[in-house]
Amino acid sequence: MKFVVSSTELLSHLQSVSRVISSKNTLPILDNFLFSLSGTELEITASDLETTLITKIKLENASDDGKIAVPAKILGDTLKEFPEQPLTFEINTSSMSVVISSENGQFTVVGQNGDEFPQMAKLKEDDKTELTIDSELLLSGITKALFATADDELRPVMNGILLEISEDNLTFVASDAHKLVRYKRMDGKGESSSSFILPKKPASLLKNILPKEDNVVKVEFDNKNASFTLTDYTLVCRLVEGNYPSYNSVIPTKNPNKLTIGRQELYNSLKRVSVFSNQASNLVKLKIKGNQLTVSAQDIDFSISAYERLNCQYDGDDMEIGFKSTFMIEILANLHTEDIVIELSDPTRAGLILPTPSENKNEDVLMLLMPMMINV
Amino acid sequence: MDLDTFFVSVERLINSKLAGKPVIIGGTSDRGVVASCSYEARSYGVHSAMPMRMALNLCNDAIVVRGDMEQYSRYSHMVTDIIAESAPVYEKASIDEHYIDITGMDRFFGSHKWAHELRERIIHETGLPISFGLSVNKTVSKIATGEAKPNGEKYVEAGLIQDFLSPLSIRKIPMIGKQTFHLLRSMGIVTIDTLRQIPPEMMEKLLGKNGSVIWKRANGIDHSLVTPYSERKSISTEHTFDKDTADIAYLKELLVGMVEKISYELRKKQKLTSCITVKIRYSNFDTHNLQKRIQYTSLDHVLIPIAKELFDRLYSRRMLIRLIGVKFSHLVQGVQQLNMFEDTSEMINLYLTMDKLRNRYGKDAVGRAVSHRPLKPALPYPTIS
Repeated sequence: MKFVVSSTELLSHLQSVSRVISSKNTLPILDNFLFSLSGTELEITASDLETTLITKIKLENASDDGKIAVPAKILGDTLKEFPEQPLTFEINTSSMSVVISSENGQFTVVGQNGDEFPQMAKLKEDDKTELTIDSELLLSGITKALFATADDELRPVMNGILLEISEDNLTFVASDAHKLVRYKRMDGKGESSSSFILPKKPASLLKNILPKEDNVVKVEFDNKNASFTLTDYTLVCRLVEGNYPSYNSVIPTKNPNKLTIGRQELYNSLKRVSVFSNQASNLVKLKIKGNQLTVSAQDIDFSISAYERLNCQYDGDDMEIGFKSTFMIEILANLHTEDIVIELSDPTRAGLILPTPSENKNEDVLMLLMPMMINV
Repeated sequence: MDLDTFFVSVERLINSKLAGKPVIIGGTSDRGVVASCSYEARSYGVHSAMPMRMALNLCNDAIVVRGDMEQYSRYSHMVTDIIAESAPVYEKASIDEHYIDITGMDRFFGSHKWAHELRERIIHETGLPISFGLSVNKTVSKIATGEAKPNGEKYVEAGLIQDFLSPLSIRKIPMIGKQTFHLLRSMGIVTIDTLRQIPPEMMEKLLGKNGSVIWKRANGIDHSLVTPYSERKSISTEHTFDKDTADIAYLKELLVGMVEKISYELRKKQKLTSCITVKIRYSNFDTHNLQKRIQYTSLDHVLIPIAKELFDRLYSRRMLIRLIGVKFSHLVQGVQQLNMFEDTSEMINLYLTMDKLRNRYGKDAVGRAVSHRPLKPALPYPTIS
């Protein structure tokens, strides 16, 4: 194998796939990138058994097809320090030596047999679902939902994003039982109704590579695995098996109390007041009376307290409700409209946080936050 | 500072007829123990933690009072308030003990004079007798307080600590309990003076880490600070049966009631627990504990099944049980974050309403039906039908 590649182009591809490599690999070969050359196309693969990410580079100058596994850390650390220049890779597949020649030097590492690199999962040809999703749509869905996923070993289904496909829309759902995001897009659809749960890791990998993509993304999945095909990248991952809890039943439908307020204003206020909340519970209280919202917090252990009054539009009964400030701040940071509407029913039921007016006419964003139990 | 026979003094304030008579405070049942007793009763050999039966055998005409913890804690607060008003740094060590750090006060008032005036003020304002010991650290002050009693004061100056400690029994050192005392006594160590002459390494070998601490205390060395406030680390309750039992159904009902009671305490104090411990003591005094880490919570319906599960795993011997207890530890300040799939609004409102009723009408006002059964098992053994 022999090829010439631009150092920065190679680095940028390696950096995006290297996120797959986990620090606690069970197989030593997974600490490598798999380089496989066929014609003038170089494929670089990284995997942690659950998730495999492949990127392709078109080369001008290449000869002798073949594959080899190259130590990821050494390669990455070396490439980081190169200014833009052509690098020549000469690989002897029988002695496994990899020689990289730069303008003024040479670097030699030992690779491993490329055939030992685990094969990525194959989707069942006869039992898979295929659809195409606009890359912008997929990116927004993942970005909006990712922060709400759980870290719960006991309930693995909650550790991923549920993607529900129907004939008229696509819905992304994520929840950790305290907060929930439901992101619906009317401009995406599938041929039939189906769904899968995408784990957190491949979701965040997609979040990183999707901004580079302009075309549509081809999504294929069966009951175990899913693959996402982009122009330069292919991601194959194992899905979370199991049933997602019926999230629609926990979204309250009757919310007589509606509060409209500037998003940034509330966000800044929460950031300031939450400094004074108890560090274990992060409880902030929202007290709504007339057209005034009072945000307050206190930490009895240190005798500190704070409150701020904000003007808002409110239609409903006076009430006081407690939320975990960190959750509320996260939610507000993931919305981008000028104003938001908070819909409430009572202090023991979930509050809905909705952007207003919607960011995009084709989307329906709903964020839900469970309150904390306060004795009013 | 230590209030003399605190419980008895409070009872005497309420009922002056008790003055000058032998009074015993404690449980009246067969297994009740003496919580506190007056000096008159002590002269018959009665002391606290002694079984009530034995106490009554020793002192037949003693007046036994059931005791009212709420009343005592109210008086204790009165004393604490007075101390808080005048002292720069104080530590409430128990219901009737306070440590006060008056470093620096000597420049303005004279430590002894200041302490004397504080004591006079407490006696004057609350009517409760109190004693104090004044010295360079907590250990010596505590021992001095013990010597000052009843209703006295003792000042041990820095240079005279050794002379003061030497002739005293080793029992006076706060860390030495019954077992350590017997161990040391069997080695022929009677006075603190003898204890001091033992090499600290030997003490450490004999009693582990505590050994060297005891040795330091015997030398009047104690660097521990007067800490004004200490976080409540755990909350617990336990119940000793009048008659040992193996009635599992009854034991579990009792457990439910105990969890219910202390989880209400948690919510009232706005705390959450992440560790629950169940304790049982068999009739032969073998005591076993089992604990489990959980997610932060203060809700009964989460804690009760865990307590029951722990109890099932713990009760492995076919033996009667003498005592059962539950403890919540690893507490943090905070309120429950609700879970959208598990906590329904109806459930939360039920908690809030029940807690409101308890706040208003007392902690036993309302609860689960099983926990409101009379506190006695039907038979010591379950019947086989």
